[in-house]
Formats: sequence, structure tokens, C-alpha cells
Amino acid sequence: MGLVSAPVDEPSDTPSSADAERPQRGGPPPTSVGPGEEAYLGTLGFLEESPENKRRARNIGIAYLVAAVVCLVVFARGDGGVSTFGISDDSSFSVAGIPLAWFTAVTLAALGGAQIMRGTGKWTAAAASVAAILFVFTFMAWAAAGQSFSLTGTLQDALKAATPLVLGALAGIMCERSGIINIAIEGLLLSGAFTSALVGSLTNIWIGIVAAMIASCLLALLLAWLAIRFSVDQVIAGFAINFFVLGLTSFLDSRVLTRNPDYNSVKTIGDIEVPILSDIPFIGPILFEQSFYVYTALALVGIIGWALFRTKWGLRTRAVGEHPQAAGTLGVNVIRRRYYNLAMAGAIAGFGGSWWTADVGRFNENITNGRGFIALAVVIVGRWNPFGALLAALLFGFADALALKFSFLGTGIPSEFLEMAPFLVTLVVVASFGRGARPPKALGQPYEQQ
Amino acid sequence: MIKSKKLLALGLAGGLVFAACGDDDDSSSDTTAEASDTTAAGGDTTATTEGGGGETVDGAACEVTDVGGVDDRGFNQLAFEGAQEAETQFGIEARVLESTSDADYSANIQSFVDEGCDIIITVGFLLGDATAEFAGNNPDQQFAIVDVGYDPPIDNVRTLNFGVGDPSFVAGYLAAGMTETGTVATYGGVNIPPVTVFMDGFVNGVAYYNEQKGTEVVALGWDGSDGTFAGNFENLDDGERIASSFADEGADIIFPVAGPVGLGSASFASEDGSVRIIGVDNDMFEADPANASVYLTSVLKKIDVAVFDAIETVVVNGEPGGDYVGTLENEGVGIAPYHDQEGDVPAELQDEVTALIDALIAGEITSDGS
Repeated sequence: MGLVSAPVDEPSDTPSSADAERPQRGGPPPTSVGPGEEAYLGTLGFLEESPENKRRARNIGIAYLVAAVVCLVVFARGDGGVSTFGISDDSSFSVAGIPLAWFTAVTLAALGGAQIMRGTGKWTAAAASVAAILFVFTFMAWAAAGQSFSLTGTLQDALKAATPLVLGALAGIMCERSGIINIAIEGLLLSGAFTSALVGSLTNIWIGIVAAMIASCLLALLLAWLAIRFSVDQVIAGFAINFFVLGLTSFLDSRVLTRNPDYNSVKTIGDIEVPILSDIPFIGPILFEQSFYVYTALALVGIIGWALFRTKWGLRTRAVGEHPQAAGTLGVNVIRRRYYNLAMAGAIAGFGGSWWTADVGRFNENITNGRGFIALAVVIVGRWNPFGALLAALLFGFADALALKFSFLGTGIPSEFLEMAPFLVTLVVVASFGRGARPPKALGQPYEQQ
Repeated sequence: MIKSKKLLALGLAGGLVFAACGDDDDSSSDTTAEASDTTAAGGDTTATTEGGGGETVDGAACEVTDVGGVDDRGFNQLAFEGAQEAETQFGIEARVLESTSDADYSANIQSFVDEGCDIIITVGFLLGDATAEFAGNNPDQQFAIVDVGYDPPIDNVRTLNFGVGDPSFVAGYLAAGMTETGTVATYGGVNIPPVTVFMDGFVNGVAYYNEQKGTEVVALGWDGSDGTFAGNFENLDDGERIASSFADEGADIIFPVAGPVGLGSASFASEDGSVRIIGVDNDMFEADPANASVYLTSVLKKIDVAVFDAIETVVVNGEPGGDYVGTLENEGVGIAPYHDQEGDVPAELQDEVTALIDALIAGEITSDGS
């Protein structure tokens, strides 16, 4: 264990800082290898008084002040209407935009001042979260001034839009944690979508899902085979698989599906209302009136997150991704583990691909349209941690759903900007949080078994 | 090890060839196969038309699609159906090249110019510039283009346009008459004129209904200059999510102007049960049988009729150029039957719709909101 974790630490992330921030994170066990635990909330090790950290603390303070100015200059000068946020069919709450903008501006300015003067120490992450939520909420109140929209519906859509990204990202994490770069998420999703549509039409959607998992699993094994057996450059192999799947599914779509519409018509899977839980106001409709993909994706995040950091399997997987030579020396069968993990990753991606079929009931050429690449970004923003990936995907999904709402509320924000907004948000988040992200050490390196 | 490297090279090469095949079949070799298929069919029909004393002309009518592809159940497909109809009637071979990205437009047009097609039909606004450029460089090559007008007109390009504002206006009126929640909605694929002209007509139709009946039906998704767009014509799940978002805000009739993306909205509607969809371009009741029950009607843009007409005019009659405008009057555009929803639409409203169509043809009302 010590052997494996030794090469992990970066220069800027000294062992002492790692030790210092552990207690406040509720103490993950010292088996931690790799960047995982530090995902998100725990990353801000400002307890250290290194110049680097001081500068970061100051930059965050400046960011608060900029946000406060935006509140004053833009949001506090709206047309002053009251925005109504719908909670359910018959309940809603209203917010007056301008007082809220002033309140947010003062809060942000205070936070920014405190941050610059003396740093907020261990409260930095919490303060940042509160500030971000307050800022977004003020923005929503400003944009929807004088109008109403369903907040519940927006959050429900956000979770829904995040689902395929979460599944794709989980497949990416499984691969990359074992040291294989997975550019092929897009291709794996697309093959899952196609296979589930075709097989699902001929039998039923559930058999279609299983078939999708098998198909993508085989493709992932192809990637593993190329990467492990032949040491092919993994990025190139991944791209080759993407293009291969895109070409093949488009070809089969025009040759088989288009000519036989019966082969491309699946009964969609509706939403499942969880009894009792779905009656909880606000939370109920968002979390418990979703399709079974949402429940499964959330469960998988929990299971994989737990397994990666709390089980023998997880420890060995991370060891294989960080320092395969050391793992090999200690008796882990690196190659076999990589094959196993890629097969599982493929199955998850295939399941994720079948989401499209279950959602809209048919396949269309290039139906995934680049979502696999967004999932790849989600992996990185989420720092190769399932929980981080879930947060990142939710952020993207929320930006997507909110942009959609704003597009027909008459906010005056150009539609082209709104379409771009989710990507812009992702970019900003990668730029601001991606700094400390560190991929598994052995990522992309071929391993020669001795 | 050396052996395995060789094997790998072989495998990779094989894979690439395979992938290339797949891709190719998407764009170029699809043509030949598609064409030979249809030629076979065309050959038969040519024989019959000849037997029946029909006119037979040798030559080829070649279609370049936009990124939607020839099987989009929308305008690319309709254009090709028009060309196939010409094949049946006149024996003119119908060929198609699909564009998978913007970069393909020029390449596809060039390859048809090289093949010596009698007429090249480019489908869509997005091909407007490329078509004008090739028409300028090849004055003897005949073109027809869907959804584009040139000012000044180009001698060897026949423009095919459609007054879709009128049928969309009728659809808006119908939707306003049918809504139970008092909210209807529309959205587009991309904010370009051939899309927004539908949305304009729809929103104006709703406004006209409000004016006539003193109601306050709200039309979401388009305010005359900006609104809701999927940002693409491919992501069916976007259509699903947009419809769900509209439904959250109370919309019960949605008019998607986004090609295949609208199929996602229809899928949402058939699952949700409380939303109806107005189809676009095609009669979607027939084109999307899986969700047929959700279509209230469809705004028809009969591109097949226009393309057939273009082939007849340019290739058979030898009159190049010109401008075709599909209208309610010449039935180049229209409103599809209600099909299964016939019983749900009050007879009174049906009569009003018919009267509205007549009034639009007569010019008593205009669909541009004035």
C-alpha cells in the first residue's frame, strides 16, 4: 500500500497538506491512492500557508468581488419584476429580483473581503458552494423577472439530461482508473443505442438493453486488446473505434432500419414513481419520478464510488492505474484486471447507450451526437471520481435545462448563447477546478508483463 | 511479437477499410447502390410508361442532401421521393449524395458536376452559398435548390420556395382552438429563416385566433425574433426534453420545426398522454407510425411535388432556371388530414379552418400578422 501511494503525491500537494485536510473530510481511510477523494469539496487545502495557496485564496476572493459587482450592475438593475418558481401544480414561491440581488451582492462582497483579508480556511468549500447557489438563484430571479416557471420541472430535466453523461463517465472512470485512456466512450454509447434499438425492436427493450451491454462490452474488449496486446496508442485506438461505430451504425441505419421501420420502433420505458417517496414535496418529483435509468445511474455511482475506494477490487484497480509495475510485483495480475475492468466499463456504456432507445424509442444516425465526449469532460471535471462525475454531469444537465427554460421565457438572452451556455459552464468549471485534477499516473502507458 | 504486430496491422487496416466502407456508404457509394436499386425499379416502370406511351428521357437527376440525410422523414427524403417519382414517370435516373458535415456540400456538388448530371438538386438553406458558387462556375450545369432564393436570380438555378407561413398560420389557429390549457408552443432546430418562417406563421395564427375569439392563448417558444431552438436537427432526446419542458409550463400542443428532433417530442407526447404534436413537412401520422396517435395534423411542405416539377420543367421541357413557389392554392403547401383526431376537432373549428384556408388563398387575410 505504501509502495503504491508513494509516487502519487504531486509537488504542490505535499503529504502534509494531504494529512491536514483529511480530518475535515470525515476521514477516508488511508488506503487512498490517486486523486479520487480530493474531488470537489475536499480539494481546497488552504490550511497551508504556501505562496501558491495564498494566491489561490486571493483569486477566489477576487472572484467573489467580481460576482458581487455583476449582481449590482446587472441583476440589481433588472426591470424589478417578481419571479415565481413553481414547486408543484398548486404551490409556488415568489422572489423579488432586486432585493435578492442586493442581498447577494452584499453577501458576496463580505465573503470576498473575508477571503482576501484572512482566508476562510476550512470553510472555503462550503462558502464557495453557498455563494455559487446564491449567485445562480439571483441570476434565475433576474432572468425570469415578472414571469413564472417550474423549478421542479427544471431540476427534473437536469437530472434526466445528466443520466447518459453519468453512465458514460462511469465507463470512462472504470477504464481510466485501470490505466487505459477511453476516448471511445462516444462509440460505446452509440453502439449501445443502435444495438438496443435493433434488438429491442425485434424482441423487447429489456433484451435490447442486455444486447447493448454485450455489444459495447465486446467493443471495449477490442479497445483493451489493441491497447494491451499490441500497445497501440490508446487515443488513436479510441478514435478508430468511434469512427468505426459511427460509420457502421450509420450504414446499417440507412440499409436496415430505414427500409424496415419495424426494426426501429421500441416501446419506451416510462417513468417509475416510487411510492411514498414521490409524495415528498419538491424533492419527490425531482428524485423519485424518474426513469429506471436515473435510479440505476445513481445506484451505480454509489456502488462504483464505494468499490473504488473501499474494496480490495478498488485498491487493486487503482494500483494498476497508478503504478502497474508495483502492483504486478505485489502479485496483482495487471493485464487480466484491465481486461475485466474494460469489459465492465463497456457494459456500463452499452447500458448508457440504451438510454436513448428507452427515451425516444428509436435510433437515428449519430443519435448520441458527441455526448460521449462531454462524458469524457465530465470524467476529468469529476477528477476520475464517480461522485465528482455525478456533480459535474448534474451541473451540465442543470445548465442545459435552465437554458431551455430561459429560451422561452422571453429573457432577452439570445438563443445562440443559451445553446452554448452548458458548454460554457463546463469550460469555466474545467478551467477553475481542473487545475488540481491529476489523472491516474499510468494512464495511457502500455504495460509489459514481466 | 513481430508476428503479432503484423496481425495487428492487418486487423487495423481491415478495421479501417470496414469503417471507411461504412462511412462511404453514407455519402458516396450509397449513391451508386441506391441508384442501382432504384434504377432497377425505374427500369421496370420506364418500360411500363413507354408501353403506355409516356415520355422517356435519358439522364440523371442528382440530389445533394444537407446533414439531415436522405432518410430524415423530412425534406431530404421528400426531395428524393420527388426525384424517384420523376424516375418512374420519365426514366430519369435518381441519384443522391448525403452530406454528413458542412464540408461535404462542395465535394458532393463537385462530384455530381463531374458525373454530368442533367440537374443537381441541392436541398436546403445550408447549401445556398455552395450552390451559387458552382452555378456561377458551371454556367451549363442546371441546378435546383430547395428553400433558397437568389437576388438577382441565377439563370441556371431554379429556386424552389414554399409559402409555409400560410399553413403554419392555419396550424396556429387550429392549435389555439384546440388547446385546453390555454398554452401552445413551438420550437425550431436552428434559428434560420426556413425554420422560423413556420414559427412566425404559427404564432401569428394563435394571435389571430385570440383576436377573433377574444381569448388569451399563449404561444411559447418564439417571440418573432428569438425563441427556443434545439441547436441541431439530430438529437431526438433534445426534442423529448424540450417537449417535457414546455409541458411543465402548461403547453398541450407543440409544433416542432426541427426535422427528426420533433420525433423525440412525439415520443414524449405518446408517453405523457396530455400533449399533442403538429407535424412538419411530411404528414407525420403516416411517416411516424409508432407515435401516429399524437399528431393533431401536420403542416405539409410538398418538396416532392416541387422537385418533380423542377425535373419536369428543366430536364424534360428544357426550360432552365425560374422560381417555383408552393402555395395553398397550387397545393405546394397544405394542412394534413386530422386522421384519428378527426372526432376530437369540433366540426365548427374544422369549418373555420377550411374557411381560413380559403381566405388566405383569396388574400383576405395574410399570415404575416398584418
